[in-house]
Amino acid sequence: MFEGYDPGTFYDEFVGPDGTPRPESAAMHDILAAMPLDVFEERRQLADLSYLVQGITFTVYSDGRGTERLFPFDLVPRIIPRNEWDVIEKGLAQRVMALNFYLQDIYGKQRILKDKVIPRQLVQSCKHFRREMMGLNVPRDIYVHICGTDLVRDSRTGEYLVLEDNARSPSGISYVLENRLVMRRTFARAFEVSEVMPVDHYPNELGKILRSLSPRSGDRPVVVLLTPGLYNSAYFEHCFLAQEMGIELVEGRDLVVVDDVVYMKTIHGLTRVDVIYRRVDDDFLDPLAFRADSLVGVPGLMNAYRAGNIALANAVGTGVADDKAIYAFVPEFIRYYLGEEPILKNVDTYLCSRPDHLSYVLDHLSELVVKAVGESGGYGMLMGPSADKKTIEDFRARLKADPRNYIAQPVIPLSRCPSFDPATGMMSPRHIDLRPYCLYDGEKVTIVPGGLTRVALQKGSLVVNSSQGGGSKDTWVLRGNEGGIEA
Amino acid sequence: MMLSRIADSLFWIGRYMERADNTARILDVNYHMLLEQPPDTYKLRWDPLIAITGERTRFYQRFDEANAHTAFDYLGYSEDNPNSIAQCIILARENARTIRDRISRELWEDINGLYHKINKLRDEGEGLSRFCDAVKRGGHRFHGVCDATLARDEGWHFLLAGCALERAEMTARILDVHYHQLVEGPEILNEARSHAWVAVLKSVAAYEFYKRQHSHIEPTHVAQLLLLDPRHPRSVRFNLGVLQNSLYAISGSVPGSYANEAERLTGRAHESLTYDSIDEIFTGGLHDYLEEMQATCRTIGAHISQTYLYYAVS
Repeated sequence: MFEGYDPGTFYDEFVGPDGTPRPESAAMHDILAAMPLDVFEERRQLADLSYLVQGITFTVYSDGRGTERLFPFDLVPRIIPRNEWDVIEKGLAQRVMALNFYLQDIYGKQRILKDKVIPRQLVQSCKHFRREMMGLNVPRDIYVHICGTDLVRDSRTGEYLVLEDNARSPSGISYVLENRLVMRRTFARAFEVSEVMPVDHYPNELGKILRSLSPRSGDRPVVVLLTPGLYNSAYFEHCFLAQEMGIELVEGRDLVVVDDVVYMKTIHGLTRVDVIYRRVDDDFLDPLAFRADSLVGVPGLMNAYRAGNIALANAVGTGVADDKAIYAFVPEFIRYYLGEEPILKNVDTYLCSRPDHLSYVLDHLSELVVKAVGESGGYGMLMGPSADKKTIEDFRARLKADPRNYIAQPVIPLSRCPSFDPATGMMSPRHIDLRPYCLYDGEKVTIVPGGLTRVALQKGSLVVNSSQGGGSKDTWVLRGNEGGIEA
Repeated sequence: MMLSRIADSLFWIGRYMERADNTARILDVNYHMLLEQPPDTYKLRWDPLIAITGERTRFYQRFDEANAHTAFDYLGYSEDNPNSIAQCIILARENARTIRDRISRELWEDINGLYHKINKLRDEGEGLSRFCDAVKRGGHRFHGVCDATLARDEGWHFLLAGCALERAEMTARILDVHYHQLVEGPEILNEARSHAWVAVLKSVAAYEFYKRQHSHIEPTHVAQLLLLDPRHPRSVRFNLGVLQNSLYAISGSVPGSYANEAERLTGRAHESLTYDSIDEIFTGGLHDYLEEMQATCRTIGAHISQTYLYYAVS
């Protein structure tokens, strides 16, 4: 399947520029290269079937009947040697600490604004800045308990760069755990010869942090996961995590606030709730405080939060940290709050709110990626080099009308990794990114080794989002720097 | 600790799965029985089936005549019929999907598998027989997987209560509709009548059990078995007994007492089925008796809902 495989001019995660496997991927490469196509095909179908049987699908409503699709899973793992992972881990830990200090500061004394490290106007104009959070004491001073930070490897330098932070409610961890499960079943042999670090302890680590947030004393706090419900695209993940953590999965209609205390409705009456891991956006959390038309929220929840009777993870208002314009200042946060140099670099970013940056962006639209600051999932985005003239002109008008809402970045030549192409029956290189999941307990950051590797399955595409035709891979962090122990 | 919403879902998974299974049974048995019957009885025997499912009005808005084709279309797959087998399975699956963190992985995969299976059969244009077979097997597997993989907590009892209530009501209705047709309905051949009673027994998997006790098909004996026999898992009495035990397990009541209206009504109906003789029931009128039993089942369902699932918070 690797015959004629050409890494091309991009950094390839599997093979070096001369086409020979990298040390960390050699063992897996040999297993795949020795595997007859029909055996590989059979395993691929088994893997797909396993997702279908378990109902790990997302629903596409375009045809009116609601068709369930699989999030495509690519059987070739992305392999990271230990020495590279150590750098990523330290860099992310530093970043998540800094984001938390920043949020505590912004909703508290606002030292960073007084010291003019970041323009006050930029912070307060952020769509996700929540005035309601000013002066509110959050349990244990943690704002971002869970952070999913997207990394890419720049083919030109081989360096990992931070593309964006997801500090509200990042999703995808269930795929990390399920992908591993499926890989262990389909390629048991590969795990025998490669020393891959486990990821299964994630729900346990998250559960520990959530329980530690309880505002009531006692060793059995009631922790729940709040989901928007069955029709949310991440519903499978909500179920999965609730089950793995042994906590109740609730919808807004299961909860009720009486005298600033949150309860859930059970068959034998009301039961008090202490901690909510919420997977509902700020806007929909409490119709009395935010959007009044929300049907998935809990009326009165913000009052209970303010009264200190309930802990929320992540805290309300963390969107003021992962806004794409604020992103440009995160390296400054690291210097300001930690007195350290950032270990992981940002991608160069032009803030359209700055007139000098805006005019540069307008002159170079066809070379840049333009992103709306408050969006995620690949929506509201312009890929300059591949866009047609009309789209570019459309964005030009939008940028001029609302510059604060946009940033621009140079196109990063993302690294690639082999993917199986069912059309040709061969491996072909495809662009990938990496989203590790960071957990913060108020003192230290824990990251399960690896994360979600997303792959742009369309040839040449740089967009990895599932809504835009992306797939995923299992991500292996090795115990050592090379894959493969001598048999 | 059990959320009301989850108890509600379990209760309805039980009901929908049981409804799908029962509908497949009556469809399948009727179809096979009529393969060897003269055409004039043919027409007579599809209409009661529609009546059993409580769908007569909606059915005749769509079709002029009840026959194997239209009945299968409507009771099997139709999206217009909220009680069609496919719709029941879709709803059972939706409920299971909502609470998949609370049920065993095996149960979820089983219900999900059945859903994909019937979609596949539809896409392949499979006929009534293989379709009903798949649903019946699915029903058996469902009970097996529940039994083998679910913890015996309150959730289990809501699921069981849903199954038992649905089955009790369905058996009562099957008996009611057929009795009405066969005994009080228009004159048909004796042979055809006997065939029809066999079909009724087969549709509730009670034929073999009946034959071990009676050599002849006799309507009173059939009614006695389906209503009052405490040993057969599809009799009304059997199922109200199961329901009563589950309601006790949920509330903590002891036999001879009741904690809510659902328990009181279940207990009263169960007593009646235990101590009434079939002759008394016939004297008072079987149809009225069955009608009241079905109404009681519906009221019990409403009270379970009000007590545990949708109560007001002051």
